[in-house]
Amino acid sequence: MRELELYFGPQHLGMVGNFSITLKVEGDRILKATANPGYLHRGFEKLMELRSWIKNFPMVCRINVVEPDSMEMIYAMGVEKLAGIEVPERAHYIRSIYLELARVGSHLFGLWAYANMLGFDTVAQWAMYHRDLVLDLFEELTGGRVYHIYIWPGGVRRDFPEGFKDKIVNTLHSIGGCVPDYDNTFFNNRLFYERAKGIGTVTREEALAMGGTGQVLRATGMQYDVRRVEPYAAYDKVPWEVPTREDGDAYSRIWVVRDEMIESVHMIFKLLDAMPEGEVYNRIPNPFKWTIPNKEAYVRCESSRGELGLYLVSNGGDKPYRVHFRTPSYTHGLTILEKALKNASIADVGNIMISLYVVAPEIDR
Amino acid sequence: MKDPLKDKLTSAFDGIQIQPADRNQISITANKESILSVLSLLKSNGYNHLALISCVDWIEEKRFELVYILSAYMEKDKHFTDMEKTNIILKTSIYREKPQFISAIPIFENAEPYEREIHELYGIHFEGHPRLTPLFLEREYKTPPFRKDFDTRKYVSDVFDPIPFVGKKADKR
Repeated sequence: MRELELYFGPQHLGMVGNFSITLKVEGDRILKATANPGYLHRGFEKLMELRSWIKNFPMVCRINVVEPDSMEMIYAMGVEKLAGIEVPERAHYIRSIYLELARVGSHLFGLWAYANMLGFDTVAQWAMYHRDLVLDLFEELTGGRVYHIYIWPGGVRRDFPEGFKDKIVNTLHSIGGCVPDYDNTFFNNRLFYERAKGIGTVTREEALAMGGTGQVLRATGMQYDVRRVEPYAAYDKVPWEVPTREDGDAYSRIWVVRDEMIESVHMIFKLLDAMPEGEVYNRIPNPFKWTIPNKEAYVRCESSRGELGLYLVSNGGDKPYRVHFRTPSYTHGLTILEKALKNASIADVGNIMISLYVVAPEIDR
Repeated sequence: MKDPLKDKLTSAFDGIQIQPADRNQISITANKESILSVLSLLKSNGYNHLALISCVDWIEEKRFELVYILSAYMEKDKHFTDMEKTNIILKTSIYREKPQFISAIPIFENAEPYEREIHELYGIHFEGHPRLTPLFLEREYKTPPFRKDFDTRKYVSDVFDPIPFVGKKADKR
């Protein structure tokens, strides 16, 4: 049969975000896929070299549009490690609660994208509505809905307002009350099973060889989670589980996302109960005259998509000398996606891409 | 880091420097000739996750520093050891005038996009890389844009200032 070249995205209904894939197809079968990023390259890493340590916070959160909070966290962790700043105990708990809320919001957004792609419009609308409830919480806490700039070196910007604990609990109860609805309409639906089972399978050996993290690995039965392996914030203070599945296909990955969301909600309840009183912020030197000794650091945390890392170099000045983010979508979207698309059918491209949880701004930076 | 591995590294490679661990972070500096052998030795000793390849432009010292960051995946599904907490920062320097290096793809498959990115943003050529095509950038640059001698502000004014505003065009009509 004749070979054709097909451009999938950036303007395509099955594509989320500014990203495109060039497919070489024979009939309905994909012979070769070439990921084609760069539509959102803003050169943040270079721009950050021109701005002082504290002025970079508005920039880092824009690297991942869907989940800006782990970006703030990783940059704050990097600066703290370089400058040797300690964080008060209560701030650790607040950070964890805040990051888990962000994870729930990000997973709901991911569920919206996935359900929308499969044609489950109702579920998609529910997920979007429930994400909005989480954003309302963020708005009350930080003043911003999407970009919050709440985590700073030395702690968090301000303490929880009065009655905020109850608001978190109420919101999460109203979202959690809908889990049976989600299960009945989507997760236990035969259509979801038929469309996703056995699609885009990445075995554990492949995932390990290609540097996979996050859901890609956990969908193959491995409990690899940076929150567990190298705990930061307050993740070692309360017990929690790492949900896994066995098959490594799109079906398993989306189930891992669902289980993770529920585990995050449980974790937030435990953290709220265990949260101590006290300061939330350690004073840092004057940010306008702040210099950091000549040093380098690599820090990592678990974003909602996998292992997020930051390599930060200082040459003793008031600005970073080099910033390099290791984003999970980079490996998943450029290396693993190209392998997983081989021999798939054209109708499954969106399915595979969204179940790999690729978010384009994170790749381009 | 396990001491046997440290001994192995120092005995097998000349000029390798291992700094004492800072929390979970170990920094190793090696000669550029031995970097691939060090990578495969570390990989066979459990550090099998290449997290990142980065590049730093030390313009005053006239060198590029290539940085490989390694950590370990879990050996078992559910339990992890202290080794898996460790991050290794493996560094080597190449001359700025002769920006050439060898590709690490035979050892770590996911090195491919990282090396492609470094080639595009720093102008370092990786021998043995199957496709050193542009990854992010749209225009041609005389100086690769992430080098320290590339002036972002000057570039912006040179390229975009000659383009007239939409409003000005309308006035002329």
